[in-house]
Amino acid sequence: MNGPTVTSNGRPGTGLDQQKLVQSLLLVVVSVLVLGPVLVLIRTSLAPSEAMPFETLDFTLKHYAQLLQSPRTISLMWNTVVYALSSMTIGVAIATAIAWCTERTDMPGRTIVRILMFAWMMVPALVIGFGWILLLNPGNGALNVLFRELFGYLQPILTIYSFWSLIIITSFAVVPTGFVMISGLLRNMDPNLELAARVHGGSSWATLTRVTLPVLTPGLFSIGIYMFMAVVQAFDLPLIIGLSADVPVLSTRVYLLSSPDNGLPNYGLAASFGVLLLVLAAGLMWAYMRAIRLGERFRVVTGKAYRPKRITLGLWRFAAIGFTFSYCAAMMLPLLILLWVSLLPHYSTPSLSAFGGLSFDTYRRLLTNPMISRAIGNTIILVISSATIVMLISCLIGWFTVRSNSRAGKILDALSFLPMAIPPIVLVLAILLLYLNTPLYGTIWILVLGHMTIYISFGVRTMSSALIQLHKELGDAALISGASWLTSLQKVTFPLVWPQILNGWLWVFAHSARDLTVPLMLMTTSNIVAASTLWNLWQFPDLPGAAALAMLLMTALLAVVVPSQLYVSSRLER
Amino acid sequence: MLLIEKLVKSYPGQHGQDAMLALRDISFKVEEGSFFTLLGPSGCGKTTTLQCIAGLEHPDTGLIQMGGKTMFSSRENLIVPANRRELGMVFQSYAVWPHMTVFENVAFPLVYGIKRAPTQEMRTRVLKALEMVELGQFADRPAPLLSGGQQQRVALARALVHAPRLLLLDEPLSNLDAKLRDTMRTEIRNLVKSLGITTIFVTHDQVEAVSMSDQILLMRAGKIVQQGSPRDIYLSPNSVFTADFMGRSNLITGVLDRSGETARAHTALGPISGVAGPALKPGASVVVVVRPQGIRIASTSESSGLNCFKARVQNMNFLGDVVEMQVDIQGSKLTLMLNPYTAISVGQELTLEFPPERCVIVPSEVPSSCGPLK
Repeated sequence: MNGPTVTSNGRPGTGLDQQKLVQSLLLVVVSVLVLGPVLVLIRTSLAPSEAMPFETLDFTLKHYAQLLQSPRTISLMWNTVVYALSSMTIGVAIATAIAWCTERTDMPGRTIVRILMFAWMMVPALVIGFGWILLLNPGNGALNVLFRELFGYLQPILTIYSFWSLIIITSFAVVPTGFVMISGLLRNMDPNLELAARVHGGSSWATLTRVTLPVLTPGLFSIGIYMFMAVVQAFDLPLIIGLSADVPVLSTRVYLLSSPDNGLPNYGLAASFGVLLLVLAAGLMWAYMRAIRLGERFRVVTGKAYRPKRITLGLWRFAAIGFTFSYCAAMMLPLLILLWVSLLPHYSTPSLSAFGGLSFDTYRRLLTNPMISRAIGNTIILVISSATIVMLISCLIGWFTVRSNSRAGKILDALSFLPMAIPPIVLVLAILLLYLNTPLYGTIWILVLGHMTIYISFGVRTMSSALIQLHKELGDAALISGASWLTSLQKVTFPLVWPQILNGWLWVFAHSARDLTVPLMLMTTSNIVAASTLWNLWQFPDLPGAAALAMLLMTALLAVVVPSQLYVSSRLER
Repeated sequence: MLLIEKLVKSYPGQHGQDAMLALRDISFKVEEGSFFTLLGPSGCGKTTTLQCIAGLEHPDTGLIQMGGKTMFSSRENLIVPANRRELGMVFQSYAVWPHMTVFENVAFPLVYGIKRAPTQEMRTRVLKALEMVELGQFADRPAPLLSGGQQQRVALARALVHAPRLLLLDEPLSNLDAKLRDTMRTEIRNLVKSLGITTIFVTHDQVEAVSMSDQILLMRAGKIVQQGSPRDIYLSPNSVFTADFMGRSNLITGVLDRSGETARAHTALGPISGVAGPALKPGASVVVVVRPQGIRIASTSESSGLNCFKARVQNMNFLGDVVEMQVDIQGSKLTLMLNPYTAISVGQELTLEFPPERCVIVPSEVPSSCGPLK
């Protein structure tokens, strides 16, 4: 654009000048964060394996040829798709059933279920996975031992190390997120559609199957694609369960190629697998966007405050409670076994005789270990800086995407959305390749960089939807009053959306703390954090230590996030 | 005080449509201390003009000067940003900041603005501004706890506290209920007149415009239609659009004849003498505008006089403060507004007189639209 330039009447640095400056800065930062890694990833996949991407000018398609010729690639793709599809289907089915019971029926205990679901969203999948391994491993899994003693089976009846266990545990782990999305969908549905079916003589069952479910289908479909995408990108459960069960998927393959147990990393092949995964995820992203747009066309949201009468379950109540309780028990068991193990000096299965030996010794041991203290310190730096920087950048980008019609605003919007379609494992590989030979590598700040890139799309989406609802005149009034652009943001615009800023901050905070992908791929001795230490303790193996650290991490997360979120939601509802 | 010259503003077309011309060559001048109103239907460009004056939008070309200082000039490649124009503005939504108290809202321009004041002076000036809008005792109240009318007063105090060059009012009354609107209309006018501040007021309501303004600028489709005092614009419209927009009128089509002493229009009713602008050529197709209050009921003896017509009463509509009467003159329907004490019944034959000075002859409408940019 070649519009007239701005003079500042002798006082520079205000008004449009500030906007241009901040906008250019943001463009540079986001391009470096997002485009840099992607370009390096593609370059590496085309470079000879002996050389690092910056050290060579040669191009080769060798890795892609190797990837396409290998029969293992097909089984890898097959595993990934079966894993994601099955986990998503089971997860969405369970989540839909529970969400329907809590939103539309008179099932007792609805509030508790809702609170538990929100709390479980904060629990790292890694922790749930460890808990299940302790419960179900073939040798001395607590449930297997229990069955053996009760019924005299000699063979373990269940094993954690199978494809099906991986699928079921993953689907349990995605249910809380699905529940939150689906109950939002149910709450927004116009209850008159159901009422009309009842008035015209439909039975409850006919109403449910002929009206409610078909109306919800587009929404459920897009949630399904979202979940599918999340499972394709998942890394922690396939790592701790899938590898022992000999079910490699794309994300663990990328990890093993770039951090092998023995031998040199094959970055070229890892990068080409990364590109493959990236293409798959981008395709899913495209499908998701289309599904959302179709859903909009089918839109049945009326925004009415009117709440329909809840369906009386009668005797079905027991079935509903039984189902919901079973799921809750399945989520509590792994946490309880971890608690048990963390209180013992050495691992043993739960029994009355072991009760006398319970103590907090393991916790004391952990907290006095200098490595652990460093990990805890690093974790605090990581989560607070990631959350703060992400929300700071997101607030500004959000402002430009909502208020500015310039081309730069649109580019910022698109660039900040891009990481949604990049699987974290691929992104971290790319970050590793980009920064391996810089002083940044090995510091905690490279983890911050990774989390910034991964979570910025969430932050920008949160802030732009908050700012869209804020009347433009509120900010304009500050400008007219003589305040500079930055002052108007600082004193008026951002204070008015601070509950949403805090909400976004908490989300990034929690996800940054529970993430294993970034800390594990970029791990050195100096930048260990709680999640990577948890993994190290588990591998060592120091099971009581790992369990105690898992409990500490989870308690800290819940203690920070749950009260703040309750406070924020009470502020937002006012 | 304010000089606007040749403003042109277009918005880029969205979704493959052509660009829209929001302002086409707008020029006007506002005298110091004047209450100046931009009036027109929605989409006419009045709000865009105000936003350009405020600096919240920027025209493509043109010139904006305030008190001799250039604020925008496409020729000199110069834009003074909104926060350096030293303006006060009351927004349609009031934009009173809900996270601050009344005092903090009003103090904002003196604390964060260009013309900052030391704390003690700031306090006195804020309290004075609050007294001025009769909100002195509400200073410490959080802004969301105010009623709509009170928020409006806060917005007004905030716009005036830093003694701005110009006060801009963007449809400030449209969110108030009818009764409060009448009170605020008088109050705002008295307040700005007593301060002597030049005021630009945007509205789509002709009653507000007529009752508050010194000057009215009537706009349509990005162009100026007519500028003048409320009386001029109401009584001497220059177009069918003005006549129609400013209130109810009887519009009688005809052809202009300048052969006699006065201008005449040959219409379906017969020839009507009236006032015609010099630009109208004989033979032009014209419209005679007669306000419903402008028609007199003549005594029967005058039945053959100038501009006198026989009419039959078709309908009487008693509205309280006026009576609306529909009459039929040789198949044409006309409306009159009468004193409620008039005793006339439906079906009665009357002679109506159209005093020539109350018959304004204007050109029949040339269609113009705010269409796509060629």
